[in-house]
Amino acid sequence: MPPAPAATAIVADDERLMRDQIVGQLREAWPELAIVGEAGNGREAVALARSLEPDIVFLDIRMPEMNGIDAAKALAGEAHIVFVTAYDEYAIDAFEHGAVDYLLKPAEPGRVKITCERLRARLERKPLPMDDLLTELSRRLGVGKSSSDHLRWVQASVGGNIRMIATSDILFFRAEDKYTRVQTPRFEALIRKPIKELVLELDPEEFWQIHRATVVRVAAVEQISRNLRGNPVVHLKGSAETLEVSRSFHHLFHQM
Amino acid sequence: MSSSEVPPGNTAPRARSREPLSDIRSGIAVVWWGFFDWLAVVSWMKLAVVCLLAMILGGILNFPLLALVVIIASLIIKVIASGKRRAEVTAEEATRRAETEQLERTVVEARMQALQAQIEPHFLFNTLASIDQLILTDPPRASQMQRSLIRYLRSAMPKMREAKRPTLGQQLDLCTAYLEIMAVRMEDRMQLAVNVPKGLTSAVFPSMMLQTLVENAIKHGLEPKAEGGRIDIGAEVVDGRLAVHVQDSGVGFRPGPGGVGLANVRERLQALYGDRAELIVDLPAQGGTRATIMVPYEIGAP
Repeated sequence: MPPAPAATAIVADDERLMRDQIVGQLREAWPELAIVGEAGNGREAVALARSLEPDIVFLDIRMPEMNGIDAAKALAGEAHIVFVTAYDEYAIDAFEHGAVDYLLKPAEPGRVKITCERLRARLERKPLPMDDLLTELSRRLGVGKSSSDHLRWVQASVGGNIRMIATSDILFFRAEDKYTRVQTPRFEALIRKPIKELVLELDPEEFWQIHRATVVRVAAVEQISRNLRGNPVVHLKGSAETLEVSRSFHHLFHQM
Repeated sequence: MSSSEVPPGNTAPRARSREPLSDIRSGIAVVWWGFFDWLAVVSWMKLAVVCLLAMILGGILNFPLLALVVIIASLIIKVIASGKRRAEVTAEEATRRAETEQLERTVVEARMQALQAQIEPHFLFNTLASIDQLILTDPPRASQMQRSLIRYLRSAMPKMREAKRPTLGQQLDLCTAYLEIMAVRMEDRMQLAVNVPKGLTSAVFPSMMLQTLVENAIKHGLEPKAEGGRIDIGAEVVDGRLAVHVQDSGVGFRPGPGGVGLANVRERLQALYGDRAELIVDLPAQGGTRATIMVPYEIGAP
């Protein structure tokens, strides 16, 4: 049998200790494998893989700049991918059902050997594109990230600083000239986003529009009274300011 | 939610006017509402006896029709009033129960979230993998890192009964265990500066809040940045309040998964101090995130 050219690999992980670990284990399990480069993030890994054209790329899943799954997508069909992770329940579950190989940090030597044997067998074929699996992984990586699409923080400028105001701190929003005023029990701030855009982004369970120019946080409402014109007026916890409810929003307070 | 008018019946008019006419009017009102309330609470048995007496009295005084009208009116009012009364009592009870339940739930939830949010499996497994590697290459450092992990785990274990109120100094110690671990793992991708005056280490500061800010700074600030950055921890007293900040030079605040920890801090601050404490998140002009917790300044037990 003619000696096959030595296989090449790169290893990507944002922590050097972890790169050292996988490199050390690969040397033991597969001495002929040439580790031709190491990368500290997903973007570097893709760039390095493009320039060195290794047969195999070992990718940590959580890395800065570009995660391992996106890097694998970029390299689909160009190299054989092995994912490496310390703990990613969602991913491991997906790997079990997919054609892609993975290693758990710290990997058992026996487990590394199995991966290396599988890789040797696979090197004779073209790398699989793995489209479906990677899409599934991306989806799972995104799950739990945005528990809700509603606005939870409002970015506003307060005394020259940019401040992130939690929506749970806000009493109400009110349109004023070109700006929208954000009122909390302690301070007020101005934002550029108009009320009609805010209404679409805020959680409708958390905030109610009570006037063309006013959106109030329901939990901040202390009581409702009526003004001389008979319109309901909202009193707030933590502010002396009252807010009038305009006719088209009267129905909101009928059940209360 | 009720309108601002005074509920009838339960309150006697407070302002006493000297004018005789309004004195009489308010007198009648008191008697009327007193009667109304009496009707609402009196048992049907008693009412029947009273009606019988009224009928006899009406017969004796030769006003049988008037007596009958009064009795029928009383019976109608009784039906309405007791219904209203029952509804009021039920509503009051429900409100009280809801308030107590809400408070209890807030406290329990805050405690549970505080416990849950602590040990992140990703952190734990990555740290153990790092220790495993160090055992091969640098055993003394492996031992050191493992001790840091033990210290961190011990601090993160649920402590339902805390004998003393936690101090800023203790909280800072617990953070250093975590930061020591991350310093080994991230190497030169993390620089740390702690600037807490010695005098403030004995100040009372709630548990696990500084930890949350520090972990957020690493996880959402520095780790997603290829070149990493620095973390500044500082404390000062401003207007009688203790302000503790954690600033990182990371990728900047991105609303999302990090919000859970901050929401928990916010809720616990609210439960512990009400409006006297706050959490502020600023985005400094030079980049990164600066989170500040302000609590009333109190010296803790030594």
